Amino acid sequence: MAELTNFFNPASVAIIGASNKPGKIGNVIVKNMINCGYRGKIYPVNPKEADIEGLGCYPTVDRTPNPADLAVISVPAAGALAAAEACGKYGVKNLIVITAGFKETGKNGLKLERKLVDICQKYKMRMLGPNCVGLLDTHVPINASFAAGFPRKGGIAFISQSGAMVLSILDWSHKAGLGFSKFISLGNKADLTETHFIADAAEDPHTQVILCYIEDVKNGSHFLEAVRPVSRKKPVIILKAGTSQAGALAASSHTGALAGSDLAYETAFRQCGVIRARNMPELFDLAVAFTSQPVPRGDRVAVVTNSGGPGIIATDTIELKNLKMARFTKETIAELRNHLPSESNIYNPVDVLGDAKAERYRFSLEKVLADPGVDNAVVLVCPAAVTEPVETARAIVEVRKKHPEKPLFAAYMGGSRLEEGVKVLKEAKIPCFIFPEQAVNSINGLVSYARTKDLSVETEPLTFNDADQKTVKAIFYDVLKDKRLVLLGSEAAEVVAAYGINAAPTLLASSPEEAVDIADELGYPVVLKVASPKIMHKTDVGGVKTGLESPEKVRRGFMEIMDNVHRHLPRVIIYGVEVQKMMPKGIELIIGMTRDVQFGPLIAFGLGGIFVNLIKDVSFRLAKGLNFGEIEKMLVETKAYTLLRGYRGNKPADIKAIIEMIGRTARLVNDFPEITEMDINPVFSYHQGASALDVKITVS
Amino acid sequence: MKNLYIMGTAGSGKTSVATGLALKFSREGYRVAYFKPIGNVTGAFLREDEDAVLMKQLLNMKQPLETIVPYIAGPSYLSGYKNTCESLKNIRKAYETVADGNDLVIIGGANFPHIMGCLGLDAPSLVQELEAVPLFMIKINNDYSLDHAIFINNYMKCKGIPVLGNIFHNVPRPLLAKTEGIYRPILEEHGYHTLGIIPSNAVLTSPKVKEYYEVLGGEILAGEENMDRLVEDTVIGAMTIESALGYLRRSANKAVITGGDRSDVALAALETSTSALILTGGLYPDVKVVARAEEKRVPLILVHYDTYSTIEKMSKVTRRIRAKDEAAVKMTVENIEKHVDWRNVLRAII
Repeated sequence: MAELTNFFNPASVAIIGASNKPGKIGNVIVKNMINCGYRGKIYPVNPKEADIEGLGCYPTVDRTPNPADLAVISVPAAGALAAAEACGKYGVKNLIVITAGFKETGKNGLKLERKLVDICQKYKMRMLGPNCVGLLDTHVPINASFAAGFPRKGGIAFISQSGAMVLSILDWSHKAGLGFSKFISLGNKADLTETHFIADAAEDPHTQVILCYIEDVKNGSHFLEAVRPVSRKKPVIILKAGTSQAGALAASSHTGALAGSDLAYETAFRQCGVIRARNMPELFDLAVAFTSQPVPRGDRVAVVTNSGGPGIIATDTIELKNLKMARFTKETIAELRNHLPSESNIYNPVDVLGDAKAERYRFSLEKVLADPGVDNAVVLVCPAAVTEPVETARAIVEVRKKHPEKPLFAAYMGGSRLEEGVKVLKEAKIPCFIFPEQAVNSINGLVSYARTKDLSVETEPLTFNDADQKTVKAIFYDVLKDKRLVLLGSEAAEVVAAYGINAAPTLLASSPEEAVDIADELGYPVVLKVASPKIMHKTDVGGVKTGLESPEKVRRGFMEIMDNVHRHLPRVIIYGVEVQKMMPKGIELIIGMTRDVQFGPLIAFGLGGIFVNLIKDVSFRLAKGLNFGEIEKMLVETKAYTLLRGYRGNKPADIKAIIEMIGRTARLVNDFPEITEMDINPVFSYHQGASALDVKITVS
Repeated sequence: MKNLYIMGTAGSGKTSVATGLALKFSREGYRVAYFKPIGNVTGAFLREDEDAVLMKQLLNMKQPLETIVPYIAGPSYLSGYKNTCESLKNIRKAYETVADGNDLVIIGGANFPHIMGCLGLDAPSLVQELEAVPLFMIKINNDYSLDHAIFINNYMKCKGIPVLGNIFHNVPRPLLAKTEGIYRPILEEHGYHTLGIIPSNAVLTSPKVKEYYEVLGGEILAGEENMDRLVEDTVIGAMTIESALGYLRRSANKAVITGGDRSDVALAALETSTSALILTGGLYPDVKVVARAEEKRVPLILVHYDTYSTIEKMSKVTRRIRAKDEAAVKMTVENIEKHVDWRNVLRAII
């Protein structure tokens, strides 16, 4: 991992392209460095100036007293390469290239960016950018950016692929009263990426929570490896933009890289413990939650409210987010019953009624938070006639002090009448929202992080000693020699069989007579399927015949398939017809794999057969680092699991056999990066064992 | 001296086999000339018969192109047709000029054997007129292709100019066994010979990116240095981005045709084995697509046709062999040596 200390805490900073002209970026950076209270040396570099903002100016970087720990380049693109080269020669090791006009502008820009990267490699320099706003650290302090203003000190590190987002959030943070440890604008990520800065922030004692806005991940496997351990230490919350079809299109235009499927991101984030925010408000709500609240012990939530409706909304949201409504102990219930008016609801959500004053809130909340069955609490306050917003807030703050181990959120549902109370809560670092959903969302973020932390670190690889790599290699060799990328069903069956997956025996026949011979050998009944790498959906072109019980039927089936396919696809070359032993019917499942451009093999499991696209009962995992525990969870996530356990009197299926088949599939696709797509659909699952009926494999 | 007349349908490998045989025979020490009585012009930019250009260069022929190809027939040739006898006389005269001083003349047939039958300049008539030995090229599309071959063989036999033999050209690997085991014996049963079965080979049969570009025109936005790449498949990128990768991964060395505004499909295509990316509708792509294509060195061609017209035009492109294309020229000779009974051909014409 890159050593980034000198980016945030350099003893000296050279600013190449420093300027005296107000409004110029080179001027803003110098001022920012001075105004933030940076304690190291600043070397403005500009051949035309003698001093800049009261600092001695140097004509070139090699005339500065010593190679600065960090150089910020903000000269136009044409001069940026020379500046980087000069830095390299002089012995500067870290660069921030603010300059734009690189890859983001097209072909020529790309060439420039490549050259820039070459220069960095030549002199072993690390670089942030180009085309970025820069970075800042409030604790050092340093402000090597052209952002307007400097944020408050705090525990949030914000890493952003969008420079504009950095500028906006920084400006907004003052109004919102939010404090930051670092801001990093990633720019084009030509060298250093989000992964480097996430790993660095993990080691930073001032950073409590790491926030990212990204449009893509630069290197998927690097990200997975590096972020997994970080998320066990500190929460990593990522807003990944471009989830919608149109958004992905916009993101790909913006970043110039195929972003990888959103599904892969979702899976990758979950597997390495990243909390995914869906929108900007959620990103910052979570940031506030993580910097002000403890990590909860569990997912049980108590609600204290002075009105019925908001209580119900909170309850609904809790259920919706897969959190649990806490159930109080007898003692808590008894206490609440004894002290609250008889019309109150003493079960969760606790309704203290519209006439509740601060004292009633204090009492109820204290009892609720003391209950061992409660892990988190939400207080809802509606502005009734007698409500005491400020006193109630103070009461909440006091109760909180007694139970600092349990996350506590408030929703002050109103406007001006509640304003003063909200202030009291915010000062005491109790997040306060207008509506209960946001509070519950924040709890959900905390709880899912708590779950991640608990995840076992079981990462031993899926080893199967009987995997026969040689056979697979030989088959792939033949396929590529034949100038194909798609395996025939018979070849694919052989590949998975070599990896110990129980595949129904399938052989290729090129004539009706050969098909009969094979059928005789396999035993009747058999299934016939057209063999052609160009045909994706065999059933749709009349290319499949099942349950053929006699040689005559096989012979006729062969000819019918050939005729059907010729009629549908006159120009497609048919390799022959595959003859497969007809397997007894089992529960139809699918095991699939698509190789994501960023994160590698993405394994899918779900209900199979022809309805797979309709029902979409599928769960996903990345094959990298997959283990048996995770595979089992994958099964549990689907509705198919209910079916497999024995639905309505049916015998349970052999779940172990399915887990093993998924494991072997993962191992196969990890061992052979040339497999780009793979589908076993259907897999028939039986009371004992499972069988792969139709295997499709695409290689590259 | 006898001549060899290579008959066949469009795209059946006439040029490839003519090239291979001509070079092989000249390596055997014979002086070989090439003659094409009825030429045709392909492509949007060309004004000459490409076969004649190729052979003139390969065989170092001194005669001007108008002599090697005395007659060029477009699809509306009848509008300005000339007197038959005169045409035949011209062809004969040109032929004699070409043949003069050579041991063998390889005559390339027109796109189809029946072309210019109205003027009596169809292949069988010319075979008779030029006293040539006919050879028939077979391109298997399906079983009917063999029926067609037998029909032509029968016709030639009736005319008293039996075909010396048939050559199967560009046979896909999965059809090799069938060609050898079913088609060839059927021909033999009818009394017709098979002189060779030449397997498919991308080097000879797949058009190059620049051949598509010649037909489509447009602008090359990136990857100019790789216009010589072979295109072995075409895929239309009109799918959703989720399914795009799955489709695009299924074929190698392909041309992907998609709208200029589909940067998602374009970028997905660039992640897979793509020989050229053709953007339609005259829509300039995002600069990032251009940069990525440049990074991957994939030719990126912007055309002004819509997707349908683009595909229509592309479907008409067949692979042309050029003299400078050493790999292809070498392959034509290799094919003759490995897969064709060339000694028997030679024996029939010397």
